[in-house]
Parts: sequence; structure tokens; C-alpha cells
Amino acid sequence: MFPRFSHARPTDLQAALALLEQASGRIHAGGTDLLGCLHDGVLTADTLVSLSNIAELKGISPSTENGLRIGAMTPIGAVAAHAGIRSTYSALAQAASVVANPPLRSQGTLGGNLCQKTRCWYYRGDFPCLRKGGDHCFAFEGENQHHAIFGGEGCYMVHPSDTAPALAALGATCRISGGGSSRSVPVDQFLMPALVDPQRETVLEPTEILTEILLPPAPPGLRSSYRKIRSRQAWDFALAGVALALQFDGNVVRSARVFLSGAAPMPWRAQGAEAVITGNSLNAQTITKAAAAAVEGAEPLQHNGAKVALFEGLVAESLETMG
Amino acid sequence: MSEDSPYWIEGTVPETPTPAEYPEPWGKTNVVGARLPRVDAYERVSGSAVYPSDVILPGMLYGAILRCPHSRARVLSVDSASAEAMPGVHAVITASTPEADIPWSYRRGPESRLFPSLCQHEGEAVAAVAAETPQQAVDALRAIRIDYEILPHVADQETSSDPESPKIWDDGNELPARPPYERGNIATGFAEADVVLELTFTTACEIHAPMETHGCVAQWDGDRLTLWESTQGVFAVQARVAEILGLPLSKVRIVGHYMGGGFGSKLQAGKYSIIAPILARLTARPVKLFLSREENMLCVGNRPPSRMTLKAGVKKDGTLTALAMDTLSTPGAYAISGFGLEDWQIRDLYTVPNVRTSNRFVFINAGPARPFRAPGHPQGSWALEQMMDDLADAIDMDPIVFRLKNIPSVSQARGGQPYTTTGLKQCLTDGAAAFNWETGRSRPVQKTHLKRGVGMGACLWIAGGGGPPSTAIVKIFADGSVNLNLGASDIGTGTKSVMAMVVAEELGIDPHAIQIEHADTATTQFATPSGGSKTIPTESPAVREAAYAVRRRLIELAAEQHDLAIEDLELATGAVVSKTDPAVSFPITELEGLQRRGLVMGVGYRGPNPEDVAITPFAAQFCEVEVNTRTGEIRILRFLGAHDSGRVMNRLTYDNQIFGGITMGIGLALTEERILDQATGKMVNANLHDYKIPTALDVPAEMASLAIDPHDEQCNTTGAKGIGEPVTIPTAGAIANAVFHATGVRITESPITPGRFLEAQAAQAEEV
Repeated sequence: MFPRFSHARPTDLQAALALLEQASGRIHAGGTDLLGCLHDGVLTADTLVSLSNIAELKGISPSTENGLRIGAMTPIGAVAAHAGIRSTYSALAQAASVVANPPLRSQGTLGGNLCQKTRCWYYRGDFPCLRKGGDHCFAFEGENQHHAIFGGEGCYMVHPSDTAPALAALGATCRISGGGSSRSVPVDQFLMPALVDPQRETVLEPTEILTEILLPPAPPGLRSSYRKIRSRQAWDFALAGVALALQFDGNVVRSARVFLSGAAPMPWRAQGAEAVITGNSLNAQTITKAAAAAVEGAEPLQHNGAKVALFEGLVAESLETMG
Repeated sequence: MSEDSPYWIEGTVPETPTPAEYPEPWGKTNVVGARLPRVDAYERVSGSAVYPSDVILPGMLYGAILRCPHSRARVLSVDSASAEAMPGVHAVITASTPEADIPWSYRRGPESRLFPSLCQHEGEAVAAVAAETPQQAVDALRAIRIDYEILPHVADQETSSDPESPKIWDDGNELPARPPYERGNIATGFAEADVVLELTFTTACEIHAPMETHGCVAQWDGDRLTLWESTQGVFAVQARVAEILGLPLSKVRIVGHYMGGGFGSKLQAGKYSIIAPILARLTARPVKLFLSREENMLCVGNRPPSRMTLKAGVKKDGTLTALAMDTLSTPGAYAISGFGLEDWQIRDLYTVPNVRTSNRFVFINAGPARPFRAPGHPQGSWALEQMMDDLADAIDMDPIVFRLKNIPSVSQARGGQPYTTTGLKQCLTDGAAAFNWETGRSRPVQKTHLKRGVGMGACLWIAGGGGPPSTAIVKIFADGSVNLNLGASDIGTGTKSVMAMVVAEELGIDPHAIQIEHADTATTQFATPSGGSKTIPTESPAVREAAYAVRRRLIELAAEQHDLAIEDLELATGAVVSKTDPAVSFPITELEGLQRRGLVMGVGYRGPNPEDVAITPFAAQFCEVEVNTRTGEIRILRFLGAHDSGRVMNRLTYDNQIFGGITMGIGLALTEERILDQATGKMVNANLHDYKIPTALDVPAEMASLAIDPHDEQCNTTGAKGIGEPVTIPTAGAIANAVFHATGVRITESPITPGRFLEAQAAQAEEV
């Protein structure tokens, strides 16, 4: 039923990294996505390296830069419930709180949420699609109701994470260990466009581990939010979502970061909307223009044209709530 | 299915003897109608209830079925050698296994085989294995090499009849046309109308998704077969298994005490019911075979998609003059059951003299339809109730006032037979009052992009009167304890609890103290499957008759023993007492007649229904929604179901039915939709994540029921009509009408996803 694999549960990061040097080693975080992928034959693995026994990967604490450090193995539910995140980084708390359902939020981790595979039904189903090494994207001319309206190049998946757009909007950084060193990558560059390598969703090398997510100190006047539209109110990925992180100076938006979920193979930065907002107060005219700018250049497929209006309405509503 | 005969009966309708004497209608009841927790509530919530999928037998193997991954393909060759050699594998069967090389009839349409060489839908059975663990069984399936010739397929009912479409069956892709239903003259009717509207409605295909998937455990004891099966009807499974395996009925025992939900897909045996016994016989071991969720979604049945073009004429005073509807639907790849009847509401619900309906059915290469909680009715209601709403709007009349002008007292679709009772008017008026309809309708136009509105829909259900056969036995033992024996399955609706209440009502005992034996072909009496909203009206009169016979016999024994007149005695709790002298009381346990024989037994039969009348449940449901006109999100704020299903037998299970039916209707209205990849014909959302059943958060916290009981003393001796299906018929139409009231946007296509709402809103804005 499952492919035959060995399962290791090291107690420190170095041991985990050493195990990953083995061929086809895969990281087992919460397992909520990995085990389904293995069960359904989407992925194979010789070795699973569980990170669940590595204490240093868990927990939320102040970072040395006066921001917050969230261990990659921290459960999503703990992120949603954390008082400091709720008060200072609302977008992340809101995003974490609308992931899946309570059991999955208890089991799933923040790092896993960033590294999960797409929910595209062709990828998950019995179709030899591009992302699985096939020669084309079945969604492009197929049942693409839920697929990309931006950034679809070869593959038209949408990235399923709710926390990724929120973290990207908040300017969070991923810390990665592996190959004898460590490096930092902003969340919006951690996730990769489809064209670079259609079989990879993140910049993680097979021998690297995402260890922590760092939130920068909140600038004065920061307001942030995440809003998600879904077909049903639990256990569902975003039809459309928007993360906002706006820095206000009085009524005026000094800087803005706007990321869409359910729009593209990665959290989609709505730079047009950011440009409209920045330097302005959020009056009705600005909001209308920003919402229109957010969907400018959208390239809907045959069955997902409604997403354009959906994102436009969603961005407008979220900006109104923010102002 | 023949036009208006019950869908759960094929061929001859069995009968049970007419009872010699019927008990008088109940006046006031002591137990029946109360809010009584289920008699098996503890077992169900504690996990001690043994469902068929819980059964584990010594030496048991696990079966699994290899299924065709293509929507249409021919099996060219099967190589199972490596699978047979795998560890733990005890048997592999294919079409070339003599024991498995058997025909599989769907009763209507083309014949097939247990393992057909021509696979007509994704998921057709091709081979099966039995192994020591479920994992080994799945691994063995993967090791079987099948060479398929992939054939052209049809995945869309709209194009199935096109000349360029591949021919699925030699006889073509369309089922033989039936003559249209006609009464009056629709041309005259439309000519008389002040307003004529025509709209085309569609509903998406919905998939059966009971909590417990389909399956069974098979065990042979010599030449006797026992199957623990998750089924709505043990006797229906027994008949099919005996027929196909060539066994006498007496040698086939089907047990189905608990079962994890069935909404029409478990009315009969499946291929698993045959494959498991074959594997068990070949391996001389018990075999458990339960389908995976994915197999369940592909194979066991669906509510088929529909396209319905409805034309309606109305006078300015609200008189309906004509209704005409043409429908297109598909039974899938095989014409089994569960398709059709979309037009029954159109024919029967409202007074209208001129009606014409015609139905077309085409094959597609997809899993077959099965009865799905009120076959055809929710689809037809989606069309009719929205049309009624539009007509009311067109003549500027309140939708409820409009409906009240068109309430029939006879069943027009049955040539004017009177209904035994109809509570339709009261469902509308009392339901509207309880819901605060007027307040909801008169709310001023809202200025924000969040719009609230209220809507409603009414319905009837074609069946719901029940009928013979049924045989029930009630026994009272020497110590006064009571045993009830009936063949019907309790599919989660509370059948056992209601029947215990009926016995308790007659015998004056605690319903929780009654031991119930049921749903076992070896130890209980013949019953039809629990479906068609007929279990209570079918079984409860037989059970009452049996309990009544026991009561009568106990009184007779007391009268004989003490030389008293029978007429002066009655049964109270634990004793036969005098009607006139409270001091005269004979405890049951001291009745010599009972002590000598150790048992008093009553047999109850379900007698025939009254002739030339229609027994019909009615309902009206009301809801309030909030629509986000920017994002297309729809929140249901509250729901009320006003139901005339005759007497309420247990108010708790009655409410469960209403709230459950509404929940299912929310799925039809807002979330559920089978999606077939047109290029391959494969279902892309065959799992519980992508096929979206509503969650608890999608159901409003404010759910209410209103019981309308017109005291039907004619329908049967308990006065109950069916409740299980009417509860889900008008729900989706009521939601769509509420969306229209909130926004002015009419959505004719289900489910109303955010995207569909936004598209319809934009299209309407363009028209204006």
C-alpha cells in the first residue's frame, strides 16, 4: 500500500542532515501531506527523516532582531493561538487559524505548511502531469476551476498555503540548514515560480532543512490581515485569499505588501495594488483602483474566469476592513 | 422504474396477510411522539456497536478489487502470476476464473459480467484478490498486469447524443423514449396565462458518501453462507446473492444490525457482495471486503446530473395555468435505478390543469446512478420552486400567498385520487409564521455589499405511505420482559427506537427495556429495504399489530384465570387491571397462562393501504441567507423545516431527519459536484477533500423544525407518513430563492459556488 521505506527519528539537526544525504530521503514534519502523497503514489521515498524529536525546531520565541522566531516544527494551531502573533502579526494568526481544521492544525507544522505540495487534482490524481515528470499540464485545457490566473507557466497549480502569503506580506525570512552551512531566504523567494523547475515548489535542496521562520520586528503603524474564501467553512484550501501588511502613518499608507493565495503557483505579489495604495489613504477611490490593479494582467483559463472578479472583490473588501 | 411505483420493489409486490382486526387509532399517546434518546445511543457513541466493517473473524482474509482506471476500455489480457506469488496472497480471481466468470445483470439495459471485458466507466471491477492483510491485498492488486485498449468515451450528457459521439452501447447512447406525461392542454394553458416564463435549470451530479463505505464480511459454514453487510435491506441482498451464487435462500444469511449510513446506494447487493463469498469459498477462509473511499465515490452510485427546461404560465391573480418541462439526465454507463422522476413535483405539487413533461436519458461513461434520497425530487424542486418564486415576482405577489392559491386536495398526477391528508397549506402558513417570514421579506434594501434575504420552497414526496409486506413479532417472557423481532434495517434514522416506542405504547413498558432483534435474514421476518421514506409507515403498523396481539392475549389470560369479562380489563404497566375497579390488578408475572407456556407471542402483519387514495408527505422549508456580493460567499443564517409527515413518532429522531435533510440539501445548493475530466472521462475529485460535503460550520446554528400533524387516521394504524426524503427536497430551491431575494440574482445552476454567483451577477448586470 505504501512504498517500502525506512523511518528515522534523529534527536538533533546534524543527524537529520546526515540522514538526508542518503538517496531519496524525505523530511517528515507533521506528515499530514507527506503520508497522503506516499499513500496515493504521488511521491516515493527510501528514507523518511522525522523532525519530530528535534527540540530546537519547535517553539516561538523572541528573535535576536527583536522580531519573532518560529521553529519550523511548531504546530500551526500553536501559531494561531500565540498571543504575540495575534496582537502584532495578525495576518499570520488569521492565516494559521483558517488552515484546514483543528486536528490538522494540531498535527501540521508551520514549516510543513510552507513546503506542502499542490492540491491540484491532476497532480494528486492518476495523471502523469508535468509536475510529476510528465510532459504537460492536464489542467491547462482541463478542469481548471481552481487553477492559476497568474504565473502559470507550464504548470497551472496554485500554491495551497495560507500561511505563506501572510508570512510573505509580513516580510518573514526562512532559515535553512544543510551542506555544512545555513542560509536565509525571504519567504516570497523561498517558494519558486513554476517555470524554474516544474517539479520543485521551494528552493530547498534535497539535503537541506527549513529550520525556522523569522518575523522582523513590527514597524510602527503596521496593520496586517489575511482573508480566505473557500467552498466550505472548514477543511478547505483557498479559492482565493489575500494577505495585507500595511504600514500606516496616520491615515496614509507608507508602505504596502499585498500577496494573493489561490492565484498562482506561489504566493502572488500584487505589486500593482501596492503601488496604488502606497502614499495614499484608503478612501473608496483608492480601494477601487487598488482592487482593479490587483487583478490587472490576470490570465484566466477556461473555467476559472470568475476568479478575477473574486480577487477584485476580496482585495477591495480586505482593504476596506483595514482602513 | 415504472412511473409511480416504489423504486425499491422490482417485479411482483409481496404481500403479507391482512390483519383480522386493526387496533383503533391512537388518541393521546404516552410514549410515541416523545423526545426519546435512541435505544442504542450508548452503543453508537461508545463504539461498542459492531458495524459490519468492525467484524473480525478468526482466520479472516482481506479482499480488494482491481478497478479499471479508464473511463472506457477493453481488457485485452490479464496477467496475475506475480500477484499470486506474493507473500500473504491466497487468491486472485479474474474473468477467467471459472467461479468468477458469471453474468451480471442490471435488470434493464445491456447485460454485463462480474468482471466485464468491456469496462464502461472508471472503477469497473476487473479482478480481485484475498490476502492476509489489507496492505498485502492492495500490493497484490498493483502487481496484476492488465493490458487495456483505451476506447473513446463520453463524459458529458449534453453531447452524448451527438452523431459524432462514440457509441457507448451497440443500441446507441439514448434510452428508449417514454411517452410524455400529459394532462389538459398546455397550449390552451399558456394562452390563458398573463405571464409565461421559461428557464433552464441544471443540477450537478452528487456522489453517495455514507460514513461507512460499502462492503461486507463473508463466511462459509459448509454450504451455508453468512454475510455481514452494510446494507439498507438484508432481504434484498439475500435474494441477489442467492440468485447469483445459485444458493437456496435458506442457505444465505445476511446480517446488518448496524450500518454506517445509506441514502439509497445500499438498497441492494453490490459486486463486493458476490466477490467476497467467491474469495471466501476459494480460500476456505472468511473474507472482509470493504471499498476504499475512492472506490465508493466512483462505483456505488450517484444522484445524476440534470438539465430541466421549465415553462410556466400564470394569471395575474396567481392561478397557475400550465407547466411544461423537458428534462435530460443520465443513468451513467448502466441504467440501474435512481434516475428520472425530476418531473413529479411539476405534475403533483400545485393545482394546475395543463401539464406536459418529457424526460430523456442518455448514457455516459461514468459510475451508475442509484436512488439518492428522493430520486429526481430535489432536482425537480430546484427548478419548480425557483420558477414559482420568479412567477410570484412577475405578478408582484408574495411567494407564499401565490403558493397558497394553488394547493391541491387531490393527487392530480394520479388521476385525481384524494390525499388521505394534506398539510401543505398548514406547512406554508404555520411555517411562515414560525419563521417570521413577513419580517424577513419586508426588510429594506441593504446598502452594504452584504445582502440578506429570505426564501422558501415547498414539496411533496411521491411515496412515503409505506405498505405491505412486513411481519413483526413481539414476545413477552414469563418475567415480563419483552423482545421485538423485525426484519427492517435501522439505517441510522432511529427505526429501532421508534419501533420500541410503539411496543412500549401498547404494552405500557419502558422502551429502553425492550430487546430488539432485527435485520438478520436467519432470525427475523421478511422486510423490504429501508428506503423510500417508508420504513416507519410500513413497519410501525405491523409492530403495533404484534404488540396489540400480545396485549389482547394477556388480557384474555387474566380474564380466563379470574373469570372476568375481557371488556372490563385493560393492560397497564406490568399488570392487567380493571377499567372500573382500580383495586383489581393482576401482575403479568402472576398470569398462570404466561407462566405455563413461558411466552406470549404476537405476530403483526402490515395490511394493505386504503384503496384509491394517495398517502403523501408534504413540507415547506424557509431560510435566511447572507450573500457577499463582492466575493460570492453565501452564509446560511437560519433554517426552518415545517413538515407534514403525519404523526411524529419520536421528536428527537424526527428533528434529526429534518436537520440532516437540510444539511444534505445545503450540499446540493452550495458545494457538492462530481467533476469529470472531459479529456479522459476520469473523476478528478473522487475524495472527501475535493468533493465537498458540507461541514458542521456550513450548517446554521439556528435550525428549527415545525411538526404539522393533520391526524391521518386513514393512512395506517399509527398515522405516520414518511419523513426521510421530503426533508431534503425543497432545501436547495429555498436557498436559491433566498439568494434571489437578497441580491436579485437568479442562479439556475447548482452548486452556487462563489464563482457561479459572481458570474451570474455580472451576466445579469450586463443585461440591465
